[in-house]
Amino acid sequence: MLNKTGIPTAEDVKTVTPSQERLNKGPVAIIECFQKIPCNPCTEACKQGAILPMQDINDLPKMNFDNCNGCGVCLSRCPGLAIFIVDASYSATEAIVRIPYEYVPVPEAGSEVVGVDRAGKELGTFKVEKVQSGGPKNKTYTVWLIVPKEMAMDVRSIRLGGVRHAN
Amino acid sequence: MQTKETIVCRCEDITLDEIQSLIKQGYRTIDEIKRVVRAGMGPCQGRTCRMLIAQELAKAYGVPVSEVLMPTFRPTVKPVKLGTFAGGESDAENC
Amino acid sequence: MSEVKDIEILIIGGGPAGLSAAAAAADLGASVLVLERDGKLGGQLVKQTHKFFGSKKQYAGDRGFQIGDLLIGTCENNSKVEVWSDTTALGIYEDGVVTAERDGKHLKIKPKKIILATGASEKMIAFPNNDMPGIFGAGAVQTLMNVHGIVPGKRVLMIGAGNIGLIVSYQLMQAGVEVAAIIEAAPAIGGYLVHASKIRRAGVPILTSHTIQEAYGKDSVEGAIICQLDDKWQAIPGTEQDLKVDVICLAVGLSPLTELCFQADCQMKYVPELSGHVPLRNDYLETTRPGLYVAGDVSGVEEASSAMVEGRLAGISAAFSLGYGKDLAPKLQAEALAELSELRSGPAGQKTLQGIRKLMDKGEALC
Repeated sequence: MLNKTGIPTAEDVKTVTPSQERLNKGPVAIIECFQKIPCNPCTEACKQGAILPMQDINDLPKMNFDNCNGCGVCLSRCPGLAIFIVDASYSATEAIVRIPYEYVPVPEAGSEVVGVDRAGKELGTFKVEKVQSGGPKNKTYTVWLIVPKEMAMDVRSIRLGGVRHAN
Repeated sequence: MQTKETIVCRCEDITLDEIQSLIKQGYRTIDEIKRVVRAGMGPCQGRTCRMLIAQELAKAYGVPVSEVLMPTFRPTVKPVKLGTFAGGESDAENC
Repeated sequence: MSEVKDIEILIIGGGPAGLSAAAAAADLGASVLVLERDGKLGGQLVKQTHKFFGSKKQYAGDRGFQIGDLLIGTCENNSKVEVWSDTTALGIYEDGVVTAERDGKHLKIKPKKIILATGASEKMIAFPNNDMPGIFGAGAVQTLMNVHGIVPGKRVLMIGAGNIGLIVSYQLMQAGVEVAAIIEAAPAIGGYLVHASKIRRAGVPILTSHTIQEAYGKDSVEGAIICQLDDKWQAIPGTEQDLKVDVICLAVGLSPLTELCFQADCQMKYVPELSGHVPLRNDYLETTRPGLYVAGDVSGVEEASSAMVEGRLAGISAAFSLGYGKDLAPKLQAEALAELSELRSGPAGQKTLQGIRKLMDKGEALC
């Protein structure tokens, strides 16, 4: 139960997951926002018409996955750090998961990190493809991880401190 | 630390046991307790302990916290040195 | 005789509500004086390193300290706003004089209108050894880390899974401090779930229906015994856990700082939904003492976003009552009211709405 543990359930995640077909097509935003709170920066961030305008500021974000090009602007704007970009078209076996990241040290491109799931459970060691700075004002980094395709909907952060502390 | 103490009023070091024993003796308001043991008379002027004492009174007398009489609030909100008042009357002689 | 400072609108507290009130009132033409206890304006915003929720109108997406800088800027660049920092309001008297202290000096102010934006103070809970070194309020931890650059310890037990408990846990981890667990006595997480998920995926367990039984240690905190609670909030025997931590951080809620409201003889009422005793007020935030307005946490603990809107509303209303903004003010008031109801219209705002309804419903049980 999300409201008891902080871990979104499989059912929660299902409600925000695009079809496998859409996932395979290319990068797409996964908005893991499951609680109605007064918040709408994602709708303003999206210039692709993918995150639909809200009737009420408390509405949950609604996506038109077909309009999403995976630009990632929403990911770096979401105050809840609840948006991820998944690109299952990266290679035959691998996907890219982009995660928002606000801890130090910030991993470097090419380095290896320990990926974790929504409960903080370690899923393996993955390569960092790229790191984007959010800029001096925004400050949220976007970390691109290369993960096995079947883990694309599971890897949601990296273990703090990077690979040095991995078991 | 030898004894396990539960502190209610941090400024004046008043424990939960002391508060409960006062209530058992028949003290019924925050102000009465304040006058007896100085709970709420330190630097924070009751910001920490006021509602904890209110909860104890509510529990002991079986009333909701909303019915516990609040203490009288007077200036000053925080402790101020007497010199401040004395000095305040004469701009030239502030020390 | 010391001088008495005359001013049109006196604002007590330079946090999000007070600064918003100052800017709004000054924009309509009123002369404003802001009293701030701290050396720097901004209130709690200066310690908030996370991005804020809300909409563009409340600067959503910006980080708290950035919003603080922005609000400070609007006041500093306004010739109608005077700021006295390092100044603590001490009392409100029957004749309308407000006294304050700065550098050991006793100051007197005679305002035409007063806006109280004093905020809130942290609640404390009673458990054995609760005053042992190593036990902090969450606000103190934020001040230590984010103002002074000092971490409180190595491994923390956070008590309370409201937004403050969740956010301070996140900030602790950002500062390199380990968070052993977040415990929450209620059966559900009280803060925003996106904050909770962010912390959970960093590996921190969030234990609802759990409380602290005692802290222990020789000279300072070495650990805490926590246990599970049943649905009647009673400890379940055998569920005790021993957590080795050197810091226990209390984030168990806030109480509105209403001493000055009591002093000013505002009609007060205890409303749990608003986190404590709060003054009765009308839609425009004027209390039962004419000319005295409240805004922000002092009127009921809520988010900074609504505190800013309340501040604006109180500022506009106070200025309007002095004859400023004859044409503009009613429109601005309506806008602010609409923003407030928008912010509160969702499930997260229901508690506040219920609290305000309770507060204004009937006049009985007043203190």
